[in-house]
Order: sequence, then structure tokens, then C-alpha cells
Amino acid sequence: MATVKAASVVTRQVRPILSLTQEDSRRRVLALYKAWYRQIPHIVSEIDIPKNQKQCQEKLREEFLKHKDVKDIRVIDMLIIKGQMELKETVTKWKQVGHVMAYWKDTVNKKPTDFLGKFLDGKD
Amino acid sequence: MLRVPLHKALSLPNLRQLSPALRGISSTPVQLEKIEVFVDDKPVLVEPGTTVLQAAAMVGVEIPRFCYHERLAVAGNCRMCLVEVEKSPKPVAACAMPVMKGWRIKTNSDMTKKAREGVMEFLLVNHPLDCPICDQGGECDLQDQSMAFGSDRSRFTDIQFDGKRAVEDKDVGPLIKTVMTRCIHCTRCIRFASEVAGVDDLGTTGRGSDMQIGTYVEKFFLSELSGNVIDLCPVGALTSKPYAFTARPWETRKTESVDVMDALGSNIVVATRTGEVLRILPRLNEDVNEEWLSDKSRFACDGLKRQRLVAPMLKNENGELTAVEWEDALIGVAKALLRAGGQSAAVAGGLADAEALIALKDLLNKLGSEALCTEHTFPQDGSGTDLRSSYLLNNKIAGVEDADLILLIGTNPRYEAPLLNARIRKTWIHKECDVALLGPKVDLSYDYEHLGDDTTTLKKLASGQHPFNKKLSSAKKPMIILGGQQFGRQDAAAILAAVQQLSQSLSSSNSDKEWKILNVLQQVASQVAALDIGYKPGVSAIREDPPKVLFLLGADEGTITRADLPKDCFVVYLGHHGDQGASMADAILPGATYTEKQGTYVSTEGRTQQTLAAVTPPGMARVDWKIIRALSEVLGESLPYDDLNGVRQRLTEVAPHLTRYGSAENANYFAQAVELSKTVKAQLASTPLDVKLKELQDFFMTDAISRASPTMAKCVQAVLKQKTSKY
Repeated sequence: MATVKAASVVTRQVRPILSLTQEDSRRRVLALYKAWYRQIPHIVSEIDIPKNQKQCQEKLREEFLKHKDVKDIRVIDMLIIKGQMELKETVTKWKQVGHVMAYWKDTVNKKPTDFLGKFLDGKD
Repeated sequence: MLRVPLHKALSLPNLRQLSPALRGISSTPVQLEKIEVFVDDKPVLVEPGTTVLQAAAMVGVEIPRFCYHERLAVAGNCRMCLVEVEKSPKPVAACAMPVMKGWRIKTNSDMTKKAREGVMEFLLVNHPLDCPICDQGGECDLQDQSMAFGSDRSRFTDIQFDGKRAVEDKDVGPLIKTVMTRCIHCTRCIRFASEVAGVDDLGTTGRGSDMQIGTYVEKFFLSELSGNVIDLCPVGALTSKPYAFTARPWETRKTESVDVMDALGSNIVVATRTGEVLRILPRLNEDVNEEWLSDKSRFACDGLKRQRLVAPMLKNENGELTAVEWEDALIGVAKALLRAGGQSAAVAGGLADAEALIALKDLLNKLGSEALCTEHTFPQDGSGTDLRSSYLLNNKIAGVEDADLILLIGTNPRYEAPLLNARIRKTWIHKECDVALLGPKVDLSYDYEHLGDDTTTLKKLASGQHPFNKKLSSAKKPMIILGGQQFGRQDAAAILAAVQQLSQSLSSSNSDKEWKILNVLQQVASQVAALDIGYKPGVSAIREDPPKVLFLLGADEGTITRADLPKDCFVVYLGHHGDQGASMADAILPGATYTEKQGTYVSTEGRTQQTLAAVTPPGMARVDWKIIRALSEVLGESLPYDDLNGVRQRLTEVAPHLTRYGSAENANYFAQAVELSKTVKAQLASTPLDVKLKELQDFFMTDAISRASPTMAKCVQAVLKQKTSKY
């Protein structure tokens, strides 16, 4: 009995980061998404990247969908905070072209997984 | 210094040979009552004759020593091992003093400590303070023991400023650097040279503080085992010349590996730093190399970074080899293989590992070819290579020590397998063992009965008509060692058959059924594994049926030349050095040396051992079996293994012993092999038995790695220079 009680005390005592309910976090996610979405035309025009609005919107959607299976509210909140930071860095141009382009990971080659690929790479 | 049995010293015939009746008596050890002694109050029961030092070692007390070495005779001249024995007025030298009943040995008493401090002080008074520039630093017994047992102050003041003792350095050859001022006169090097190496060149001159170690006259200390004195020297007096001022022992990474320069599979430690092999040291293995290593195995490591193939190459339209990318090289080779259909063949050289051998065999078999050969031959008549006992050193290297009569046929073990020869010499000195040689007269470093080099002698021996047969049949544990080189002769089958028949007739009358008489000494590291996997020995199959594509897996001995092949034959060289094989190739696929891959090797005694990768292959070179695996994928005939475990599983399928590392699988069916050998029609030719490696200069450069080594070249030069010297 005592352990069950203690456990319930612990769960109750977890401090929320931003959201108190699932619904609350969902609202924040959508708000962040919209904020990014509205900013995309400005990003494309002000930062010299070889991407158009459509590509940026696709990337935005991709980045959000990457975390579509996250259920923990606290984790979602952390991701929201990070997303806001990213947005601020982009809008205030603390990010430079390379940092923005890093979302696309153009220069990162995929590591080969098959034998021949690894052999030719010399990374076995 | 060297103590040989009396009959040998006086060159009398062996006494026991005269009276075979005595033989049984002398070989049974007499059981003596054990005596009890106390080491630091711990009781221990020892055999009579045990020294104080050995008794202490039994209870785990290590007494400091400089001159004592367990594999050498006792000298007792460094006095570092002085210990107190209760009721004895003076401390005794532990290494030389046999224990008496009831002795109480005190290895940590005040008297012992004082004695050690005194010895240490005397040694250091005569030893230079050049540790910072000494190559022994970090692995120096004197350094370690002065820290552990020395006094923290010295009475050496040198108020006259006339300096410490100084001794002129000696030039003893291209391998050993001498700084004789550092010498503490332990005489380990002298004892090693005269006992193990059998070269009585080193000795002492002068007495007291004028004593010097040297070669008496200006001459090189040249032996196939000379490098071992570097390991033996407890101080920095003898250090490695090629390794001088290269690295400190704590900076290097050590990888345990196996040597491939001869067929013995000596255990080694490869010391590396910054992707470079710096030196090779022996690793203890009582069954193989004890703690010695031959000079070629030790010093040829600088050949690992010279003449290397670092990029794949293809011949361009002008017929010149040009470096290409791996993709192009693999496609080029694959095209040629597809064009050839099944008409491809392979020759495996002496340094190939079992993984590469099996991968290449699987690939060519898939393509429909069975022509996979080894460079070194073996007669196919009779049982051929079907019975493993016909091509192994069946009695094992350590088995030599039990032999009482060794007959060497067509071999010079001193240069073909220096550590086997060291074993034979050890047995010859310490036990009642006689050696006879059928073959050219060479210096084996011990006396032997020379039976000539005529094949008729072999015939007579096989039919039991030779006078030496009497000796053979009266021996309790005879051993016959047949040199692998003789298989290159036209009448190899007849030679093998004769030796098999001789061995069988001896073993049928031998009471010890476990004792194997027939022993074959292979020439190269890869041969046993290749034959186990199912390679055909010898390249005659390729000569008879020239292929359209020929693979050379490290084949550098020139057994197949361009003249043996049709003009349009596409030659692929897969190996690590730009040697003979690469020079005739149309495509070069750069492979890894034994220090760069995890490879399986089977020694001449049938012991499976593996090398470990100490460094990465240089440039674009890759591990051999992976090249073959990649090629198979380009061909569309993928081999069913992707990683080392996969290849090894395949090896296990072919022959389970190939992955039982460390153990030597026994071979059997001697009698059946002899029965089959009776079907051999070939007759012994009249050409006398010959060996390639007769003298020391022949020993140093025998394979692609040692031919690329500048140190080995210097050794050959030194031997030739020594020949012109008047000493």
C-alpha cells in the first residue's frame, strides 16, 4: 500500500513544462507550426538559400512529422521550446545560410550499408 | 662456458649407442625424495638440486636477477640474487646455490636488502647516467631494479673528475647496436650465442673492471638468431639498430600476432605507433618458439612499408599499369573473368591467409574452374594431399625435445626454420640425441653424421640396407624430418614414398604408438592451410592447361611466368608488395600484409593461429578476402559471407580445425598413406639432394616482405663483407 501511495505521489509531483493537458500541447504545436509557416516567405526572400517556398513548407512539414509519435507532454513541450528557439534564430538571422541549409543535409552522404558500398568507401 | 656431454666434447661415439641395453635404464628418471625448505617461512617441497631461486619462484617470490635466465646456463656472476639463508654467515647467490634440507631462506631480511643495495651501488658506479638517451629506457631491468631494490643515495662522488668507466663500442653488424659502457657483464649474450645460437663468437676479455664483452677480434656477430640478444640484454648495452631512437615502449600499441616469414608460425608482438609497425618482438609460446625469434621475422618489418601496392591498377591502352579507382579495377577484372568463362586459374603464394584462400577458391569454383594451385609443390601420386599426415610436421616442434635420433633429409633447418633448428640444438646439447643429415653438407650449428647427398642412400635407407638403419632401428624415439623443398624435384613422389616407407618400417617396430616418425618441414606459412582447403600443390596444372585469366594471390616466386601463358591471358595480382607477381600483372588489386589483417595461418606442425590487425592497410589497399568478396558481387556471383565470422564459418565447414586457434590438430592414417605410396611408379633420380638456403646470406631475403626490407639487404651485405674479412 505504502509503495503504491508513494508512486502516486511521485506522478502527481512531476512539474509541467508548458502544457498541462494533451489538448494544451496540441494547441502549442499548431501555433508553432503556423508561426513557422507564416515566416517562410520572409525566410526565402531574406536569406539567400537555393530553396523556394514550396520546398521550405515541405521541409517544415517533414520536421514536424518526424516527431509525430511523441506522446509525452513534457517531451513535446521541450520540442516546442526548441522549435521556437530555431525559429527565433532563423528570423533574427543569427543563423547563417549554412545553418539554415543544414535542415536539408545536402552535404551529408548516406553511409553505405551493403558490403560493396562499404568496401568501395573503405569504411569496413 | 658451454657444457656439452662428454662423448660429444671428446667426439667419442655415443656410449649408449655402443650398449643399447643401457638405453632403457638411463632414460627413466630416478625418483628422488623431495626435500623441504622454507622461503620466507613458507614451506615448499622441492626436488633435490633445485636452486634457491627456483624454490622461491615456486612459492611466488621473485628474487631480482641480472645474469640468471631460465633458458640459459647458470653463470652466477651478477650477484644481484644474493639472499640470506638462516645460520649461513654470508648471503648466498640464489641462482647458483642448490637448496639443502630444512634451509630457511629469507628474501626480504635486512641482510638480503643490504646485499642487494650494495650490488646495485657497485653496478651503478660503473654504469653511465644516460637513461634519457638510452633505447632500453622503460624496459630496462637495471632501471626497474634500482628503483625497487637500490639505495636512495650513492657513495660515488668522482672528486677527481676522471669520469666513470668507459668502454669502446663494438660494431657487431647491422642489427645490433652496442653501447658497451652500459654493459653490466651479465654474460647472457655470450651464453645465448654459444648455447642456443651455436655461434661461439662472443666472449669476455680482461678481468675485474677491465672486463669487456666482445668478439675478441673485429668481426660481426652474425647468426640467424642474433636479434634475441637484444631481448636478453638486461640493460641498454645491446639494442636494436633499426629501432634505435624510434620510440619508447609506453608509446607503442602492442598487438599479439603470428609470424609468417617461415612455416613455424612463431608468436610475435607487433609494436605500432601512428599507423606504422615499429618493431616486432617474440611472444612466449613454449610449443612453438619458446621466447626466441629469428632475425628475419624480427627485422624484416621495415619491408612492410616499402614497395607497397597502395592503389588498384589496370593496364591502359599503352600497356602501362595506371592507378585507378576500386570500382574501375573490379569492373575491369570482372569483365576479363566473364570473357574467360570458366577458364580461369589461381596461384596462391606463401603469405596468403586461409580466409583469402577459401574466398578465392569459392569464387573460382562458382565460375566453374578447379585450377587453384599453390606455388610450392607436393607429389600427387600415392595418397597425394588427401592424407594430412603426409605433409605435416607430425611430431610437433616441441616433440623434437623427446627425440633421441633425428634424421634430416634434404633440408637445412637452420635457415628454413631457425627456431626448429634451435630446438634440435637444444635437444642435442641437453639430452642424448644424435642428428644425421642426408643432403648437402651445411653448418647446422651442431655436429651431425653426414650421410651424403646421394639419392641412392635414401633408397638404401628405405630398403633397410644402409648401415645407418641399425642406428635408426635401435633408437627409441627417432624422428625423420623431410625438407619441403625436395617436393620441387622431378622425383618428389619417389622421395616421399621412400621416406614414408622408411618411417613406417620404423614405427611398426616402435613401442610408442603415439610417436610420429614422419615429419615434413614446409617452406612457407600458407602451404598447410592451402592444402587443407583443397588447393592443388604445384602449378603444373596451369602449365598444362593455360587459363584465360590467372589470379596470383601473393604469388611472387616466379613459378609461373609470362612465357608459360598464352599471349591474351589476363593476369590479376592480388597482394601487398610490388614484386615479381605484380610486375607481370594486367591488373593489380592491393591487399594487406599479415600485420594489417586478421588472418588464419596453419603452421607446418598443423597448428592453427591467427594474426591480428595491428595497423590499417596503406592507401587504398584492402583486406584480401574482402577484395575477392567485392569482386564476386561485381561479377554477380556473390559469395555468401559478408564479415569475418561468415568467412570463418565457411572455413569451419571445409575443415573444422582451421578455426580452432592455438591447437595443433593431429593427423593420422600413416599406414594407409604408405600403402598408397607403394603404387608410386616414379624412380629416384640420380641428381643429388640439394637445398636452396645453404648459408646465412641466403636466409635473409626469401619472400616479398623481406626482399623489400632494407635491413635485410644490409644483413646480406654484412654477411658478404664478413666473408672477405680475415677472421
